[in-house]
Amino acid sequence: MTKAFFIHVMEVSRVLERLQAMKDQALADLANKEDTVALEAWRVMYLGKKGELSTALRSMGSLSQEERPVVGQVVNDIRASLEQAFETQRSQVLQKAAKEEERRNQLDITLPGRTPFLGAEHPLQKVIRRIEDIFLGFGFTIEEGPHVETDYFNFEALNLPKGHPARDMQDTFYIHSELLMRTHTSPMQARTLLARQPELPVRIIVPGRVYRRDDDDATHSHEFTQMEGLVVDHGISMSDLKGVLLTFAKELFGEHQQIRLRPSFFPFTEPSAEMDVRCIYCGGEGCSTCKHTGWIEILGCGMVHPHVLEMGGYHEEGVTGFAFGMGMERIAMLLYGITDVRQFYMNDLRLLDQFTQIAR
Amino acid sequence: MKITWNWLGEYVDLAGLTAEKVATDLTNAGIPVEWMQPLSGQVSDVVVGHVLAVEAHPNADRLRVCTVDVAKGDLLTIVCGAKNVAPEQKVPVAVDGAMLPDGKIKRSKLRGVESQGMICSASELGLDAKLLPKEQTQGIFVLPQDAPVGVSIVSYLGLDDMVMELELTPNRSDCLSLRGVAYEVAALYDRSVHMPDAIVKEPSGIGKLPLSVEVATERCSLYTAQVVSDLKLAASPLWMQMRLLAVGTRPINNLVDITNYVMYEWGQPLHAFDYDAIVDHTIVVRQAHATEKVTTLDGELREVPSSSILIADLHKALGLAGVMGGLNSEVTEHTRAVVIESAVFDPVTTRQTARQLALRSEASLRFEKGIDEDVTFQALARAAGLMETFAKGKVASGCIAKGTTISEQRQVKQVVVFVKHIQNLLGYAITQSEMLAVCKRLGFTVRIVSDEEFHVFVPSRRQDITIEADMAEEFARLVGYERIPVSVMRGQLTAGVLKPAQHLKRTLRNFLLDRGLHEVWTYSLTAPKVLDNVLIGEGHPAQKMGMLLNPLSEDRVGLRTLVLPSLLEVAEYNSNRGQKNIRIFEFATVFLPKQVPMLDQPVEVPHITGLLCGNAEPDGPHGDNRMIDFYDVSGLVHAVLREAGVAHGQISFARSKEPYYQVGQCAEIYSKNILVGSFGKINARVTERYDLQESFYFDLDFSVVQKLITSDLRVKELPKTPGAERDLALVVDRDLPVQQLLDAVNSSAGRELENVSVFDVYTGDKVGADRKSVALHLVFRADDRTLTDLEIAARVDTVLLLVKEKFGAHLRF
Repeated sequence: MTKAFFIHVMEVSRVLERLQAMKDQALADLANKEDTVALEAWRVMYLGKKGELSTALRSMGSLSQEERPVVGQVVNDIRASLEQAFETQRSQVLQKAAKEEERRNQLDITLPGRTPFLGAEHPLQKVIRRIEDIFLGFGFTIEEGPHVETDYFNFEALNLPKGHPARDMQDTFYIHSELLMRTHTSPMQARTLLARQPELPVRIIVPGRVYRRDDDDATHSHEFTQMEGLVVDHGISMSDLKGVLLTFAKELFGEHQQIRLRPSFFPFTEPSAEMDVRCIYCGGEGCSTCKHTGWIEILGCGMVHPHVLEMGGYHEEGVTGFAFGMGMERIAMLLYGITDVRQFYMNDLRLLDQFTQIAR
Repeated sequence: MKITWNWLGEYVDLAGLTAEKVATDLTNAGIPVEWMQPLSGQVSDVVVGHVLAVEAHPNADRLRVCTVDVAKGDLLTIVCGAKNVAPEQKVPVAVDGAMLPDGKIKRSKLRGVESQGMICSASELGLDAKLLPKEQTQGIFVLPQDAPVGVSIVSYLGLDDMVMELELTPNRSDCLSLRGVAYEVAALYDRSVHMPDAIVKEPSGIGKLPLSVEVATERCSLYTAQVVSDLKLAASPLWMQMRLLAVGTRPINNLVDITNYVMYEWGQPLHAFDYDAIVDHTIVVRQAHATEKVTTLDGELREVPSSSILIADLHKALGLAGVMGGLNSEVTEHTRAVVIESAVFDPVTTRQTARQLALRSEASLRFEKGIDEDVTFQALARAAGLMETFAKGKVASGCIAKGTTISEQRQVKQVVVFVKHIQNLLGYAITQSEMLAVCKRLGFTVRIVSDEEFHVFVPSRRQDITIEADMAEEFARLVGYERIPVSVMRGQLTAGVLKPAQHLKRTLRNFLLDRGLHEVWTYSLTAPKVLDNVLIGEGHPAQKMGMLLNPLSEDRVGLRTLVLPSLLEVAEYNSNRGQKNIRIFEFATVFLPKQVPMLDQPVEVPHITGLLCGNAEPDGPHGDNRMIDFYDVSGLVHAVLREAGVAHGQISFARSKEPYYQVGQCAEIYSKNILVGSFGKINARVTERYDLQESFYFDLDFSVVQKLITSDLRVKELPKTPGAERDLALVVDRDLPVQQLLDAVNSSAGRELENVSVFDVYTGDKVGADRKSVALHLVFRADDRTLTDLEIAARVDTVLLLVKEKFGAHLRF
């Protein structure tokens, strides 16, 4: 009995000893497990159904009733601490792996992306559209007319009879004596009036290409672009013209713009005027662009000549109108600093490309 | 038109005014002063000197040592290099410390002899050398013998003057004279104009010379002439020469200078004929005969247009009326008497003659804009008077006047003005008294009818004023345009909206910009030779080109019928500058004449055209670059039409036969049998000529596109039943257009076929040579039920049966 007891005591203490050793071994092993596969193998080895702890538990069958809870308690404690250690290690490994994954998936965000080709609106078109939008906002509509015009609409209906010296202001490409390339967009004044009379009000703008018999150089082009404006209604006055043009100038050139009208001459308006705006480069201080006057000429305008209204079919007393006309190249040159009018028709992509840099 | 400040001051009081102020005020009143500058640069301490002696320079062959009296202190010793210096001359002398436009003069030693000043040439004084007579540019400026010694050259020559260049509008031809500008200045400052006395003189009795004038054309409304005899041809007085120089006219001799001087003074062009060159002393003003020739003063023999007016005698032409005199009646040193002509010629005729002969003169410039008939006599009298004074002449005939305006009583032009009309037109309450004050300043007389109405009598010098609106401008400009307030236009509301075609244009422009195409603008004017470059031969409709009557360069002689050459030029230009990806489009107009030569307005057709070459995507580090190909352009054109709202099903293709495309790689696009445009690869022979890589072109007729747009939409209800998808790979002949296969599927699959699309085309060993496999994706759906596999299989079988029958197609396994 005594001997058996002694042996037995010895066995319990050995079991506990062995368990402790196993625990130490397991924890030491765990510290080396750097990936999930190795971790799983460790778990199976120590905590699995056929693992060391389960084996230890099963071997308790040789222990006495009293001894079992003692050893069982120890085994459970070891299991708990191994499981905890495992979880800690596992989450560390996972975290590390996730970090590694993140690092591996990181892209060089500074590497250029697949940018599509960008197209640029032609600078003249850009100016036309901006001005169109301003006048659409005023309730104007847009008319376009033929490039090949009759002498009648290009000249006569605009109070420029044959032999009129003012015809020399515009050197003309003729097809034959009665047919020509329009020298201005003004024929659409006459055409629109004839088409609409006696309807009122008439409020139109006419953008379009015009032709002059000029040699091409930095400031002349045999083809260029104009924008015409025409308003006809009861009691239209020159102050109305000034009002519309001032608002237009502020929209196009900036809120602080001012305008100035100077007397001038156009056969189809009377009184006639040139409109200046404050130099957009120096703001009126005086610079080489404005020839030190502080002002830049932008457009010609005036009250529609009674002969033009008459020929257009508007005979009613008190019906008056105003008209204006401006060169798109000139305005584009001012706005964008283009210095040679030929560049608009040369279409150098290096120039056009620059227009992708500003908002369309 | 140039004027000088001092000259102007002869006719209107300029006291209290500066040239700067007048220039500004004239500009603001509609007579723009383009520039203003002193007649010469800074000149001081230059005086009239008297050359007493000229000796050779001891140490230099080319230099002379002159002794000069400047009426101040001792005689000066001046070393001079000019060959023409001689004793007894009066010359301009720059004394020690003098300023000349080119710098300061100091006493200095020249080859060992001290020079105490400098004898000046005309150009050293800052005068315009190109207008000076030759003898005055090749040495020192020799002054007239009566030049007063010691007097400042600045005051003697009138150099302390300002020259102003007026940039006149065509209506203000009245300001092509000092008189006209004087009236304008008088109006600005409420002053009066004083013109020199010019009363027609009667012949002085001695050496009376006969002259008769016949006017045989309606295009000369007034012709006046007078003979002046006993003339002594010489240089005109220096002050007159200086003034002519200042306004840009070369002094010639006293007679010619006087006619020019009076023209600048009065605005009436004059001409002086050698009296003895006029056969029978009879002047005939007539139309030119057919093929008549005249040698003009400049020595050119000119064939005169038959519409021209000639001045002639009974045998020959003496000059081109209003444009230039003839060489045969020129004033020469042998001239003893002249006929002075002061006439009014028809503006249109003068303009035509001057234009047709490309011979614009100061005279024609004035006649073609209309001159003041009221001063014709006065200008004649003034010239005769000046010839008496400065050429020792004697008036030798009465003033002979002929023409239609002699017989008719000319009416003074009257303009009726209603105060209210002017106020309404200008937009502010300018009063009647303000208006009357402007009339007075302008020198216009008025008759006041009531508080509301008055009549203005417009002098004939202001031919530009004929109606009330003209007076409105006079009031506005003299009261000041800045008085016009700013008002808001009133009246009925109008919607400022784009028309559908304009809206579509914007949409399509944005669409193409978004697809990375740059918008370009090219010229409409071109030449037929560019059609050769794109292989367009005789008989092609594009050869029917409208041509200009008066082209300026051989590259711009006609109106383009095709946009392609313009885009090729842009591509070539950019390709030559190293661009390899060229993607451009243009909204361009082509001109299709109804007949050639073009008699009336052509059909102007707007086109949307584009040219693409280079990579399909921009270069980048992602290694997926490929070149643009046919299907990129096909897809783009399709998308443009889709964007325009052209229904997909309406579009069909046919092979294009245009010579500028590569055979087999180009298409015409139709919608409901209407040709919309074409696209394809540009013929390699064309791209070679323009030194371009493989390029593609598309060209859509916008006038057709805009007719095809759909803008109304009623949405379809979304399907409630599931669709069934089937893929079929059909092996067919390689040449079979896929469209035919699709059409067959569409026609045979039954109404439950919702959509069929191509998702792959395979050619290669696995299907055999001359065959291809076309993979189709079919979607079936019924609105009211879920289709069963059996139903779908039945429909697919029908399809397979048909395509087998039609195209020998079989399923690829």
